[in-house]
Amino acid sequence: MRFLIVDDSKFTQKITEKYLREKFIDVEITLAGDGEEGFEKYKKLRPDYVFIDLLMPIINGQELIKLIKEKDGESKIFIISADVQKSVKEEMEGYGILGFINKPMDDEKAQYIYDAIIGEGNGTD
Amino acid sequence: MELTSLTCDILKEMFNISVGKSAKILSEIINKKIRLDVPRIKFLDSKNKDELNSSFSNIPDGTLMLSSISFSQRLNGEAKLIFPANKMKTFINLCLNEENKGAENIEFTDMDFDIIREVGNIILNSIVGEMGNFLDINLNYTLPEVKVFDKEDFKRDIGSKEYFYMLMLYITFIICDTEIEGAIIINLKTKNSYEQLMEILKKMEDDLND
Repeated sequence: MRFLIVDDSKFTQKITEKYLREKFIDVEITLAGDGEEGFEKYKKLRPDYVFIDLLMPIINGQELIKLIKEKDGESKIFIISADVQKSVKEEMEGYGILGFINKPMDDEKAQYIYDAIIGEGNGTD
Repeated sequence: MELTSLTCDILKEMFNISVGKSAKILSEIINKKIRLDVPRIKFLDSKNKDELNSSFSNIPDGTLMLSSISFSQRLNGEAKLIFPANKMKTFINLCLNEENKGAENIEFTDMDFDIIREVGNIILNSIVGEMGNFLDINLNYTLPEVKVFDKEDFKRDIGSKEYFYMLMLYITFIICDTEIEGAIIINLKTKNSYEQLMEILKKMEDDLND
């Protein structure tokens, strides 16, 4: 399985990657530091799942999700954001995302992602 | 400026909830129990610049690390998280699981700045976002920034502004044996934003009194 994590914080990239690796044994993880790099890597790698922060430079998370969805309506996206506003969560759920997770990633949230992916019938481990 | 006791009570409750959530988040990041002292709140505006000194007396002297985000829409302003730089080094070491590393050297690496930016982002989003949820308003944010300031320069910078409407929350996090005293400043940039906030709080008070 291939994952793409798009976040401008290296610290969050590391935490998210660590917890996902604990849940998914056989996974390739690629990192991107902003929305533009994220979109380029998405087009090149076509990952199975994308984890996107909302507040990022150059292209923000919301714009990146729009770009990815235009390119590939079947793309599978989780948002990993510090934004706790209910209105933002509701708005983003309208983009057909698989889940909205508040930072920081932890074991419980990684388990939620694991269950969501395995529940979709797409898990391989 | 004096707030009514009920307005103060509403604000305290709002920030108790959000600061409590911030403590939980911090504790998850460093995997350590965090004790959090309930914040004291003070309102300060540009008409009372003479109160700046006393308002900052609780914040330790010296170099401060400041993480900030701006927010806009119904309220326009900036939220700043301020902590003494030397204490932040201890916190960064805990984030990196490098507890035994000394915190005497307060030179910050790019990774240190990244951690403070991201932790500030998470905490300030929690404080401001919960404020938005509590007041039932939507806010947009800018990217978080981190700066290192001397306390006196920071005070002077605020004092030089023609208008400001600031809510100061004095907070103390106790992580292991390290006490980190700091503040969260919510600076409403326009009088209109201040009036909007007061209007929302007044409506909440009226609803409570009905």
